[in-house]
Amino acid sequence: MEPYRLSLAEASRMIWRGTITPTRLAESLLDRVERLEPVVEAWVTVDREAVLEAADAATMEAEEGRFRSPLHGVPYGVKDIFYTRGLRTTMGSTLYSSHVPDRDAAVVKALRDAGAVVLGKTETTEFALHDPAPTRNPWNIGHTPGGSSSGSAAAVSCGMAPMALGSQTGGSVVRPASYCGVVGFKPTYGLLSRDGVYPLSWSLDHVGYMTRTVEDAALTLSTLKPDAAPAVESEDSPRVGLLSGYFKENASDDVWLGYEQAVGKLWGEGAEFIDVELPPSFGMAPSVHRVIMAVEAAAVHEDGMRANPEGFREYIKGFVSSGLLAPATAYLRAQRIRGVILRDVLSSMDGFDCLACPSTVDTAPRGLGWTGSPAFNAPWSLTGLPTVTVPSGISEDELPLGLQLVGRPHRDHDLLEVAAWCEEALGFMEGPVDPYTP
Amino acid sequence: MVETLSGDGEKEYIQMVKETAEAMWGPEAADTFGEHIERTAAAVYAVSNYPLEPGVEPVTRFRPGET
Repeated sequence: MEPYRLSLAEASRMIWRGTITPTRLAESLLDRVERLEPVVEAWVTVDREAVLEAADAATMEAEEGRFRSPLHGVPYGVKDIFYTRGLRTTMGSTLYSSHVPDRDAAVVKALRDAGAVVLGKTETTEFALHDPAPTRNPWNIGHTPGGSSSGSAAAVSCGMAPMALGSQTGGSVVRPASYCGVVGFKPTYGLLSRDGVYPLSWSLDHVGYMTRTVEDAALTLSTLKPDAAPAVESEDSPRVGLLSGYFKENASDDVWLGYEQAVGKLWGEGAEFIDVELPPSFGMAPSVHRVIMAVEAAAVHEDGMRANPEGFREYIKGFVSSGLLAPATAYLRAQRIRGVILRDVLSSMDGFDCLACPSTVDTAPRGLGWTGSPAFNAPWSLTGLPTVTVPSGISEDELPLGLQLVGRPHRDHDLLEVAAWCEEALGFMEGPVDPYTP
Repeated sequence: MVETLSGDGEKEYIQMVKETAEAMWGPEAADTFGEHIERTAAAVYAVSNYPLEPGVEPVTRFRPGET
């Protein structure tokens, strides 16, 4: 098997056993990038020389029996809003096209200390909002991969990286992961440090990542956050609260059918699904999220936009302008309602291992001008609850569908346990895809 | 709910915000940003009319496990 096809966990095991070197793995991934990048456009910067230098150093350490962590010598992608020491970080903006940070973001530093190798910087929408990146969806290059972590999702999907960092303020990890048929994990708010990650909305921004398996997501979390609460061991099948209401009303027919089929399959494998009524306050989530995000994004970008208005694209200009016009009382009120929504949602989770709903409103939209709706993800960014999307099937138009699971705060490993159970029962993922050109 | 002249508070509030945008940035920019301004103003209106007890505090330092 070509090394680029290995999952993170498989690569890790082989490096530890000495059956593959970090250098050989990096070479295979770099070749894959070189071959597919002209079509997929997932990367802003790949410094081949620097990658091989870091991989060689990891190889030497491995040969001496020095392994820094399970991720020792494993290359990964970094969304281009995470600071990387000595490596260009553009935020998807022309204003930062030559910006080279002198330090790493906290998670990049943690991964560097763990021996992982930065493969390169992945494409993002401008400042992680909506103005799209050039990246194409490997499942069908005529479709968006979603955003804002566009390059990370596409790169993992087609085997250019086994893992890539992303961030989510609305739906920027789970949505592109689902559109590209990979696992996307957004941990509990604040679990992974945002230090050195260019902000969009401080109280909504989450650090997350994409992998091709749930095992890889759990391994990454264990490396980045060794003190995260371990999963409670259980032999029982999961007990899942089944969400409809808001989700059924807004889902496309394709997505809802796929969701019902996935739930049916999991039911057949022994999972217990029970309908859950969303609390009335949940209906306020889209408005509350919008107010908080618009005001905080306005506060982040106000100075820059005043100094350099021509340096910002249309969507972000309009969004920031709208936030500047919101009263302070509305922002505070939104933060008050946020607490009410979280309290009510947690009450409705009583007795369940997690909640389930579709990962996205629709399958990846055609064209590259719109990265899709975050409507099924933003409520969970607002509440800060951990979420994970697991690939669950294929739609009629041959695009991936995802099942989104929502866990309790700081029970991230518990959520991943349920996700692993669902992944096995659904049996969807086969490995990286080759880009499809219709 | 705030009573307004037309009885449609949301519509009047959005109109007021659009006029403010026009006064701040001129008609062209206000028109270009119109959709964003309308959507955020509608969200502000909804949030402003959601009933809350005075004791409900804002989430100023968000800690999901502790709220």
